[in-house]
Amino acid sequence: MAIKEGDMYYAYSKNPEIKENGEYGGVVTTIMKYLLKNHIVDGVVVVEEGMDLYDAVPSLITDPEDVIRSAGSIHCGTMNLAKFISKYLDGCRDMKIALTCKPCESMTIVELIKKGKIIGDNIIMIGVNCGGTLSPIKTMQMIKEVYEIDPKNVVKEEISKGKLIIKTIDGDRKSFSIKKLEEEGKGRRENCQRCELKIPSNADIAVGNWGVVGHLAGKASFVEVFSNKGAKILEKVIKDDFIEIEKPNKEGIAIREKINKSMLELGKKSKKKLIGDLTGDIIEAFHAYEDEFSRCMKCYGCREACPLCYCDDCSLESEGPEWVPGGYTPAAPFFHLTRMVHMVDACTNCGQCSEVCPSEIDVAGLWSIVNNKVSEEYGYYSGFKTSKPIPFTQYPHKK
Amino acid sequence: MVKIRYVPTICPYCGIGCGLNFVVKDDKIVGVEPYKRHPVNEGKLCPKGNFGYEFINREDRLTSPLIKENGEFREASWDEALDLVAKKLKEVSDEDPNKVGFYACARSPNENIYITQKLARVACGTQNIDHCARICHGPTVEGLATAFGSGAMTNGFDSIKKADVIFCIGSNSMEAHPLFGRKIIQAKQNGAKLIVADPRYTPTAKLADDYIEFKTGTDVALLNGMMKIIIDNDLQDDEFIEKRTKGYQEMKEVVMKYDIEKVSEITEASVEEITKAALDYGKADKAAIVYSLGITEHSHGVDNVMSCANLAMLTGNIGKEGAGVNPLRGQNNVQGACDMGALPSDYVGYRKVEDQETTDWFNEYYGVNLPAKNGLTLVEMMNAAYNGDLKVLYIHGEDPVLSDADIHHTKKALANLEMLIVQDLFMTDTAKCADVILPAAGWGEQEGTFTNGERRVQCLHKAQEPPKGAKLDWEIMNEIAVRMGVPKEKFSYESSEEIFDEIRECAPIFAGMNRERLDTPEALHWPCLSVDDPCQPLMHKDKFAHSHGFGLFQALEHLGPVELPDEEYPLILTTTRVLFHYHAAMTRRCETLDNEVKTGFIEINSEDAKELGIINNEIVKASSKRGEIEISARITDDIKKGIVNIPMHFSECAANMLTNSDSFDPKSKMVELKACAVKVEKIPEV
Repeated sequence: MAIKEGDMYYAYSKNPEIKENGEYGGVVTTIMKYLLKNHIVDGVVVVEEGMDLYDAVPSLITDPEDVIRSAGSIHCGTMNLAKFISKYLDGCRDMKIALTCKPCESMTIVELIKKGKIIGDNIIMIGVNCGGTLSPIKTMQMIKEVYEIDPKNVVKEEISKGKLIIKTIDGDRKSFSIKKLEEEGKGRRENCQRCELKIPSNADIAVGNWGVVGHLAGKASFVEVFSNKGAKILEKVIKDDFIEIEKPNKEGIAIREKINKSMLELGKKSKKKLIGDLTGDIIEAFHAYEDEFSRCMKCYGCREACPLCYCDDCSLESEGPEWVPGGYTPAAPFFHLTRMVHMVDACTNCGQCSEVCPSEIDVAGLWSIVNNKVSEEYGYYSGFKTSKPIPFTQYPHKK
Repeated sequence: MVKIRYVPTICPYCGIGCGLNFVVKDDKIVGVEPYKRHPVNEGKLCPKGNFGYEFINREDRLTSPLIKENGEFREASWDEALDLVAKKLKEVSDEDPNKVGFYACARSPNENIYITQKLARVACGTQNIDHCARICHGPTVEGLATAFGSGAMTNGFDSIKKADVIFCIGSNSMEAHPLFGRKIIQAKQNGAKLIVADPRYTPTAKLADDYIEFKTGTDVALLNGMMKIIIDNDLQDDEFIEKRTKGYQEMKEVVMKYDIEKVSEITEASVEEITKAALDYGKADKAAIVYSLGITEHSHGVDNVMSCANLAMLTGNIGKEGAGVNPLRGQNNVQGACDMGALPSDYVGYRKVEDQETTDWFNEYYGVNLPAKNGLTLVEMMNAAYNGDLKVLYIHGEDPVLSDADIHHTKKALANLEMLIVQDLFMTDTAKCADVILPAAGWGEQEGTFTNGERRVQCLHKAQEPPKGAKLDWEIMNEIAVRMGVPKEKFSYESSEEIFDEIRECAPIFAGMNRERLDTPEALHWPCLSVDDPCQPLMHKDKFAHSHGFGLFQALEHLGPVELPDEEYPLILTTTRVLFHYHAAMTRRCETLDNEVKTGFIEINSEDAKELGIINNEIVKASSKRGEIEISARITDDIKKGIVNIPMHFSECAANMLTNSDSFDPKSKMVELKACAVKVEKIPEV
């Protein structure tokens, strides 16, 4: 059976162990195992459970028998694996890898491929749909205080029909309106609230549970193929009898699209709210955030966490000239303006900078505002595959 | 194919105890990544947390025992070095156990510290065991124990987020305890009002709604003045005072002498600022006091601490969330070092040496015959060495040459010893003075526990092997003890977990801490009396920790610093820390941190600098009665006129060349590190 770009299926694993432990048929885990077993990749980058279910830890797995460790869902996986690949795996220069990625991760990888920091031919992106992620500690507090559930008893959280649903080990469900939670500063991370990609269409394959209806509801995943690479892989996995597929029903496709649309709508609204009256002009925007940035303790956390900040010699530490004087706190405003000029065109709104900031500065918010301006002015959308040149690397052609 | 794993652990710098993940690539630590699941810091780190791992695999780690001969170090085998140390310790302690002393390492895991005090007490029969808390939060341990019955922080860190008013005195949290600084920011976002009192307009002061600039060493006057205003305005909590405290009248009598004009004159702070702060604090439903070394490092450090306790009790701000007296502990495990009994007056779990029954218990448990008499403190041990009364000093991971007051005095004292043993990772300033150096495993290379400032006992995880040639601290001490003739069954362990089990047996406050409960991100706060104890961080909720259950007010007069400025030395020197370093041995060996701040500087008020004709970055001479240094001037408006400041990390221009080792607090033996008289001069051009 020939699989091609654009195809959609319901799919589930034929491996009973994975089917049992994986989410919605265990498709992702099965593909990863297949790729390793058949030496198509040298390693897979996935997320595993660390100290407990709220501790999502990146992991490089090379033995197909170990892939099962990554099966099932972990709460609060807020990291960006693109950084893990560029920083610790040398951008997969000397190895072929597959990774499970959220849309912000696939977006970042696309940007890093454009910049030559990740070798595109050496990476397979198995995307997963994402309605947004929640930070572990804040979430545990919310579960305890708002849901009045012991966080240890939670087995799943899910977003459906504008509600955040928490399911417990005893089968109980409790839900609250996302809008309300987020108005109170709870719920998804702020960058997730304004995210504009929910189905990772820039990955090779996107897998999710939206739109799986009928007899497979809850037992299979909805798979969409987004690249030739993805099509070939899926074809092999099916041919070698690792995965079973069915054509999705029309109603399911429509439901999936509806969920996606309503999520994107919410994202747009949040972004609009964030931007407010600001035009996206760097000086104006920075001025608006000056109070927050005046708390900066120069931990370099934003630079360290930013997957698109990758220079070997960072000008923030330069001594000749000393653009940002060493040893002073708060760091001179130039610290952040420098970072902004260097990478705001590529920012994928993954939120790592805000999440690690010890001074509670909404770094990602400011970057979002200015990145939005780049998109408006240059029609360049960071994180998407495009034939447009990266802004500020050349002048737009006028002919 | 490369192997990568994340290993969660606890930061080894300040007392906040942040979690972080080591990134281990092919069995070597190569980086640090956020540990977002950690309840204290949620993945957020300060510069030290982000880059403070860079020292671990440095080339200059000590990897062989060294013995000094004719003034030069030579490499020695472990057997030779251990035999030499054991023989000397045995010989001198057999003669007189009081001639042997031990400094424990407040950076080290609890298990190592416990073994250090056990080596002192069991193998040498001495109570001369202490550590750097003496010149850090020693006054807190003393002062809060006197007032409340326990020397620890009264509330958990997160409690501060519920405060209505935060009064922060002598703490620059944003630099010294940055991830507590974050909680102050969060408190402000929740609507709290922040008042900061400090002689320097610090990054923390810059966050404040109200800033009180005052003269270093006048804390008791300031606090007494605030209390008088609170009483004058009838804002005291009469019910709390009546039901839960004793000694109020005596305290009130003293406090009422401190009228605002007098206080303003002593402190050089404005009447309006003091009054406003007093009223805001006094009217708040939940008011929290945050302090640190600005309060403790004075010759009246204990008085300062007890004054803070007075203020909190006066307004009923103890035993509830959002309130309390919150000393921010210095080193990552200085709380643990006190808890483990690395104190000349306390066994593990604050069981008192001078209580005969307690000492009998330990004598039986350990199979020894210790006297129920307190040993020497760290400062007293150094003075005893100076006077020739101490013959052997065993320093486990501390660097007193850099961190104790008056370097000349310290070096002379160390030179006077028959044997100085230093167990460390690097050739520190103190190690250079040693007769024997024992290379130890460090952070990331061992299991164990650290206890943070809110009494949270947290598990570390080993991420790589120590360098070849270095050994675990407790293994080294084990071997010494056995060589000294301690029966093997009394001093032999297979793992740090086994040591912790012994700690649980000896100290009821840790009894309930089994590994299953402990090795979780939330870990456990002491007191943890049983395996089902909920171990809440909030203390003194219904009664104080004293056996009688009452909080005790203390009547305290303003004394001020011992050494006052005069014509020859007209400026007051205070000493501080910078955000990018934690002392020196580790952070100065981290490339990124070193790149931020490579050497020391002296902060001078811009008006003082103008009078002295000094320009920014000029190398100047700073001197006191003890010594002089050459140091770069940093001219700023962020320090009060008449006060200068030197960060203490840099031995090439060491603040402690100038500080005064004579002026110590009779109540805690703290040395006055935050106030001495100095002069600053231009260096004449040759």
